[in-house]
Amino acid sequence: MHPTQRTVSYLPADDSGPDDGALVRRMAAGDEKALGLLYDRWSPLLHSVARRIVADPNDAEEVLEEAFWQAWRQAGRYEEGRGGVSTWLTMIVRSRALDRVRARGRLREESWENIPEPGSGDGEGPASPDAAAEQDERRRLIAAAVAQLPPEQRETVELAYFRGLSQSEIAAKLGQPLGTVKTRARLALQKLRESLVVFREEGG
Amino acid sequence: MSLDTEHENVQAALAAEALDALDGEEREALHAHLAGCAECRAELESLREAASLLAHTAPHVPLAPARSDRIRARLLARAAADVRGGEAAEPVVAAPETRVIPIASRRRSALPAWLAAAASVLIAIGLGAYALSLRGRVSSLEQQTASLSRDRGRLESTLAEREATLAALAGPEVRVITLASTQERAPSGRMFWNPVRRRYTFFAYNLPQVRPGREYQLWLITPAGPVAAPTFRPGRDGAGSVEGAYDVPNEQIRAVAVTEEPAGGLPKPTGEVLIVGNAAE
Ligand SMILES: [Zn+2]
Repeated sequence: MHPTQRTVSYLPADDSGPDDGALVRRMAAGDEKALGLLYDRWSPLLHSVARRIVADPNDAEEVLEEAFWQAWRQAGRYEEGRGGVSTWLTMIVRSRALDRVRARGRLREESWENIPEPGSGDGEGPASPDAAAEQDERRRLIAAAVAQLPPEQRETVELAYFRGLSQSEIAAKLGQPLGTVKTRARLALQKLRESLVVFREEGG
Repeated sequence: MSLDTEHENVQAALAAEALDALDGEEREALHAHLAGCAECRAELESLREAASLLAHTAPHVPLAPARSDRIRARLLARAAADVRGGEAAEPVVAAPETRVIPIASRRRSALPAWLAAAASVLIAIGLGAYALSLRGRVSSLEQQTASLSRDRGRLESTLAEREATLAALAGPEVRVITLASTQERAPSGRMFWNPVRRRYTFFAYNLPQVRPGREYQLWLITPAGPVAAPTFRPGRDGAGSVEGAYDVPNEQIRAVAVTEEPAGGLPKPTGEVLIVGNAAE
């Protein structure tokens, strides 16, 4: 069907420190130091996602804290899946951020159009050299894959992912039939999935 | 709708679901199908993983280190308080399934939960300090009580000894042995000996000071030889006393004597006899 039965590993390239799964297990056992390590590793990404979704920087910081707190509280129920810990964490922070946007009744509308292209490097600076370099590389590869999507497919998935619009809301916004939105979403995610495999094979 | 048709329809909707973009009814139908279709569940998980890659397309916006450190420290403090408090975990809303949680209530509950955690830490610290000071006070009072109790024990014991001494000395049965010096300098002694209670109290006078590491030792002289009694040290006035009980049969005590011996005494005398008294008198 599709060649994606390999788990994407988001371990740091230099293999330093305990892996994410071990950290989540330690969190479940009540080890708050593991939460600190997970925070060090993933807060730059999670904060960036929060800032992409919510309008207010202070809101984004609160969302970041809420997301890690939720991860702490739910660590015991975390089941290691294909996407691993970073998938789990990004789903949490996206969900918290969209909640915040709905609470405020306000999207990041005013600056939506001014968001730099992914991976363009604007205003970027590694938070911690190793992890940041590794995450920068991943972001570059993923950005390249997203950039290769036809614009209408990319717009569809971004409206859903970063703005929390439902397929019917997207259809209304874009003036397209529901079936078209479904198809675009499906094609886009399938391509991203394939690029993931290429990334894995190229990256080793 | 046949299962196959349903499967086809669901496949078409899985990507939208992976992006949390399905609307109510369609979403419910999909979940009903997922419950019985492992293939669709695996496909959904795979598409969700692909969707989560979009997170990495968010422009990197660094958090000011000081602000990040503060958030980190607060999280760790909350987590530590959480562990100590042993609270039950919050009911889990599996992240992929999370739709919209009513915001207002979440917002209301989020801050109070945090404040409550902070407050409980402060209260715990406050109570801890108070408990510590109480413990300190109790401990000090206990020490005073123990010290008073020891004093009282010592006084009672001393009083009991004095009463025993008086009883031993005051009875009509008490006999007195006078010890005379063997030397010119006239040390002397008196042994009050109660054969009924089998106790004695011995007083010595005009004893010369002992050399360092030496003491005077009292002996009960029997036909079988001297039986060791306690040692003692004279005061500056040359006077000393010792009292004790004895196991020797009364009729066997022929005399009492004092010698100078190594401190603590010996089982058999080694020094010269300083004073001696005859029990037969
Ligand atoms: Zn199916």
